[in-house]
Amino acid sequence: MKQRDRKALVFYIGMVAPGLAIYLSIVAYPVFYSVWLSFTDFNPNAGGVGNFMGFFHYKAMLENPEFWHSLKNNMIVVAVSVFGQIPIGFILAYILYRKMVRAEKFFQSMVFLPQFLSTIVIGILWKRLFVADGPVSTIMQLATGDPSAQFDLMLRPETVMIPIGIALIWMYTGFYMVIFLANLQKMNVNMIEAAKIDGATEPQIFGRIILPLLTGTIIVSSVLAIAGSLKGFDLIFAMTTQGLQRDNASVLPIYMYETAFRDYSNPMRFAYGAAISNAIVAISIVMIGISNWIGKHMSQDEVY
Amino acid sequence: MSDIVNNSKSSLVWGRIGKIVSYVVFVSWTLITIVPLIWMSYSSLKSNEELTRDIYAFPYELFDNMDDEYTVIRPDLNTIRDYDPKVDKRERICIESNTIAPGRRLMVFFLVKEDMPPEIQNLKIGDTVTVRDLPGSIRRYINRKTMRFNYESAFIRGGLTGKFANSIIYASVSTFLIILLGSMTAFAISKMQFARLSRVLMIVYGLGYLISIPSLIIPLFLMMTKVGLIDTHLGLILVYVAFGMPLAVLLSSQFMQGLPSSLVESAYIDGASVFRTFWSIILPMTTPVIITISILSALGIWNEFLLVLVLASSEFTKSLPVGVYSFSSLTGTQLGWQLAALVIATLPAMIVYFTFNQRLTNGVVAGAVKE
Repeated sequence: MKQRDRKALVFYIGMVAPGLAIYLSIVAYPVFYSVWLSFTDFNPNAGGVGNFMGFFHYKAMLENPEFWHSLKNNMIVVAVSVFGQIPIGFILAYILYRKMVRAEKFFQSMVFLPQFLSTIVIGILWKRLFVADGPVSTIMQLATGDPSAQFDLMLRPETVMIPIGIALIWMYTGFYMVIFLANLQKMNVNMIEAAKIDGATEPQIFGRIILPLLTGTIIVSSVLAIAGSLKGFDLIFAMTTQGLQRDNASVLPIYMYETAFRDYSNPMRFAYGAAISNAIVAISIVMIGISNWIGKHMSQDEVY
Repeated sequence: MSDIVNNSKSSLVWGRIGKIVSYVVFVSWTLITIVPLIWMSYSSLKSNEELTRDIYAFPYELFDNMDDEYTVIRPDLNTIRDYDPKVDKRERICIESNTIAPGRRLMVFFLVKEDMPPEIQNLKIGDTVTVRDLPGSIRRYINRKTMRFNYESAFIRGGLTGKFANSIIYASVSTFLIILLGSMTAFAISKMQFARLSRVLMIVYGLGYLISIPSLIIPLFLMMTKVGLIDTHLGLILVYVAFGMPLAVLLSSQFMQGLPSSLVESAYIDGASVFRTFWSIILPMTTPVIITISILSALGIWNEFLLVLVLASSEFTKSLPVGVYSFSSLTGTQLGWQLAALVIATLPAMIVYFTFNQRLTNGVVAGAVKE
């Protein structure tokens, strides 16, 4: 019996080991490596030995205005996801769920489509759309009758996040719509029917029955939105031109990339970049914690 | 009584307004999605000159090319020839289009002098000729070349042929390994004893959901440099496999848990080995979820950008998104080529999306809810 167990364990390990080896060495090990790196003076040109530096890079990061600028932009992206994509996705899902439009499968697949297209292609397309002599400017000229009207929001540092936010909403709302729709369809239809018979109006059904039942989904979506927004790199990278425009629209992953792989003047660029990416992870964990806490309190309120 | 009637009347009005608003929202959203894609597709069949003249008009020039004028030119050294001048010594007349990229030596043909009728043979440098006047086979050849001008240029001049192949290699090999290793792990977790070990594994893979390629890109770059896997296909595939494991393990073990354990037990009694049981009994039954995971991973890898941007430095290892990106910044003036490149990168993903729409939707929901 004992021997059979041991043999089974060998087989178990045989099945699990190849995948686990790759996973641990490429996903788990770098996590620790990244933390170590951020506390050292690691210099790739000096043989790669790292002396302990304490919080040097983190301090430098907090004193760098570029970090705060990227953080601010990143918070805008988070806000667009949590307060833009999620509510809009929810409303779209609700419309589909209550069958207020026909051809719902067609509309659903159209809104969901951008998810699966290359972010780079989409970024390049939106960039084309928004250039000063592009289609959006043409539409503005037709609408206002002013032949010199131009779409210049991408060019001004204080407004560059507006067109980016629009592109983000268009791209990712479909994801939340699909999640909400799946959870709406799992709900008990009888409850809504009963409420209708009792004379509940559409807004009442929505506010008193459907919304409370979906608190869990809203929290899960928020977590995904926060985590996704803080690691988002491709779309903003492709929508902006290298140089001033990208700096204006910089978010933390772009700041990290530009520091580690572009700023050759800084000998400790990898260590500094690692500090930034660790900060991104820390910020997302804190924000996810907060959203979970808020969600828990909201659902408690509903029970009583 | 009248109250109820009033109520239903106003709710009827509200319902109608709601319906109109719903349609407006969905139709305009669909248009925003579809119009740029349609514009991109048909514009990729327009010449650059046509695009500058009117950016919205339908393609015309590249198809109606019988009256295109060509000028006889002296071939330069840097003109790309469609024959090997070392082997083929026959005398040729070199003509260049006056309508497509004139003067830029992009649309150039070499006519074999001895195959031409006398009036063409007698053309001197600077003379012009229309496509209609050329012999039939050359006419058809130029006709086809003109229609495919943007796409051929994107593939050849943008080096997208190799990048297209790389994208397919990354997506297919990584997905195959993700499925194989992921389902082996899932089988062990869900259908073999050692519950405690399995729980630990699930937590380890679950944590992987929180980690993404961007947050580890620096250590990955340094590690891959150290072990010599930087700028290799293997290095990129290993990273894709590692980051694809969590979803594959979670989705397929969830599915395998639903399969009856008696299947496995009776296979053991019949003397089948562990791997055999997995390979010929459990794996075939897992096909639906395997297809879902395959599509999700393959599409994700097809579109992935940052890892290739950082790890692949030579043209030999780059994939389509990076190729398209650098192509679009290099060829700022050749909009037609750029658009062709964008279509090349999007079309395969769109075909997969519309073929497996429902499966993809279900897979995304299952992956998100599990988290």
